[in-house]
Amino acid sequence: MEIVFDKVTKNYGPINVFRDLELKIDPGDFVFITGASGSGKTTLIKLILNQIKPSSGDVMVDGKALNHLKNKNEIDKIRRKIGVVFQDYQLITDLTIEENIGLSLDIIGYPSGKIASRIDEVIKMVKLQHRHFLFPSQLSGGELQRACLARALSIEPEVILADEPTGNLDPANAWNLIKILQEINEKYKTTIIMTTHNMDFIESLDKKVIKLGKKEHENS
Amino acid sequence: MKILKLTFHHIRRSPFQSMVAFFTVFTCFFILNSFIFVNRGLSNVLNYFETKPEITIFLKDGLDEATVKSVGNTLATYPGIKEIRFISKDKALSLYKEMNKDNPLLTEMVTASILPASFEVSTFNPKVLEVIAQKFSSQTEIVDEIIYQKDIIQSLLTWTKIIRSSGIALISLFITIAFIVIFTLIGMKITNRKDEIKISRLLGASKFYVKKPFLLEGMIYGLTGSLFGFILSFSVIYYLRDTINFFFQPIIFVPSLTIFEPLLLLAEIFIGIFIGLSASWLGARRYIKW
Repeated sequence: MEIVFDKVTKNYGPINVFRDLELKIDPGDFVFITGASGSGKTTLIKLILNQIKPSSGDVMVDGKALNHLKNKNEIDKIRRKIGVVFQDYQLITDLTIEENIGLSLDIIGYPSGKIASRIDEVIKMVKLQHRHFLFPSQLSGGELQRACLARALSIEPEVILADEPTGNLDPANAWNLIKILQEINEKYKTTIIMTTHNMDFIESLDKKVIKLGKKEHENS
Repeated sequence: MKILKLTFHHIRRSPFQSMVAFFTVFTCFFILNSFIFVNRGLSNVLNYFETKPEITIFLKDGLDEATVKSVGNTLATYPGIKEIRFISKDKALSLYKEMNKDNPLLTEMVTASILPASFEVSTFNPKVLEVIAQKFSSQTEIVDEIIYQKDIIQSLLTWTKIIRSSGIALISLFITIAFIVIFTLIGMKITNRKDEIKISRLLGASKFYVKKPFLLEGMIYGLTGSLFGFILSFSVIYYLRDTINFFFQPIIFVPSLTIFEPLLLLAEIFIGIFIGLSASWLGARRYIKW
C-alpha cells in the first residue's frame, strides 16, 4: 500500500504544522518519523487515517486521494488495512484486552471460528499471555502499548502506523517491540510507519527517516 | 465480538435505563391487549343481540287464558316471525332456578306467583320488532313491560364507540411515549459510548457496524415488551375467563383460544420490533456523528 503526501499543508487555526509537505512511502518500507514536539508527527498519522483533513494538498493512500473519496465506505476499507498503535492507546475501557482485539478482528470480517486462535497468537507475540483477560485500566503503560500493538498486528495489516509506541516502555521492552515490528516488516512486507523521539533506534537501524519540522527529508 | 453479545453488554451496563424502555413498551402492549379484549367482548355482546332479534312482552298478572291466547295469535299474524315462545309463570320459575342453581339464597324465597308470564318473540327482521313494540306498548291493561333490544344495542354501540376511541387515543399516546423513551435512551447510550464508537470507526468499522448494537437494542426492547405485554395480559384474561363469562352469560365475552391469538401475538411482536427499530434508528442517525 503506497502512501503519498502531495503538497500537503495542515493548519490548526492560525498555527501552521507543515506546509507543502511531499513524501512517498512505498509498500514494504520501514519508516521512522521524527521531529520535535509539535512538529506534526501525530498529525501526519491522523492524516493517513483520514481522522483529520489537510488544509490543502492531497493525501493518497493506495492510489486514492482521501479527501476526494466519492464513496464514504472507501475510508473504512482503507482503515481496515491499517493497524494503528495510538499514542494514547485508544483501547475500549470496558472490554478486556482480548475483547478489544476480537472487536478489531470482527470489524475486518475475520472468520469468527479463527478469532480466538488469532488472539492467542498475537497475545503471545507481544508477551501478554497472563494479561489478556484484564481490562485496560488494570494494565501498566507498557502493557497497554503492547496490547495496542497486538490489536494492530492481529488484523494482518498492509500498513502499521505506530505513534510513539515505545514512549512508555523500558529499554528492553522497547527493543523487543522494535524487533517485532522489524520481523513483521521483513516477513510479511508490511509497511511500518513509526513516529519516535528515540535517536538510538534511528541510529542503530538502517531505515528510512522522515524528519518533520525541517524542509528537507532525509533518507539514511 | 458478536453483535448480540455487544448489545447485551450495552443493556447490562445500564440496567435501569433498559428497564424503563422495556416497561414502557410492555405497558403499551398490556393496555393495547386490554382494549382488544374489551372490544372483542363488546362485539360478541352486540353480535349476540343483533343476530337474535327478540322482544320480550311481560304480561300483567291475572289474565285469563283466552286473553293470553289472543296475544299469541296477534303476534303470529306479523310477517317474518321466527319463533314465539310463551313462558308461563311456572316455566319462568324453573328457568330462574336453573340460572341460579349455584346460588340457593337467590332461589329459596322465590315462587312462581311473583314472576310474570311473558312472550318471547324472535324475528328474521329486526324492523318487525319495532312495529310489535309500538302496537303492544299502548295495551297497558295486558302488557306490564316490554324489553326491546333496540335500546340495548344503541347503548352498547355508544359504549363500544367510546371505548374504541379512548383506546385508540391512549394506545397512540403510549406508542408515542415508548418511541420517545427508546429514542432518548439510545441517544444517551450513544453519547456515553462516544469514545468506543470513535475507536471502532478508526479501526475501520462502517457507520452501520457501529449502529448495529443500538438498532438491535431497540428491537430487543420492542420484542420483549410486546411479548411479555401479550403474555401477561392474556394470562390475566384467560385466568378470569370463567368468571367473566359467567357474569355475561349466556354471551361468551371471552371466547376460547383460536388462530386469532397467535396471529395477534405475531402482529404485536412485529409492531413492537418496528417501534423499537424505528426509534433506535432515528436515535442512531441523530446522535452518531463520527
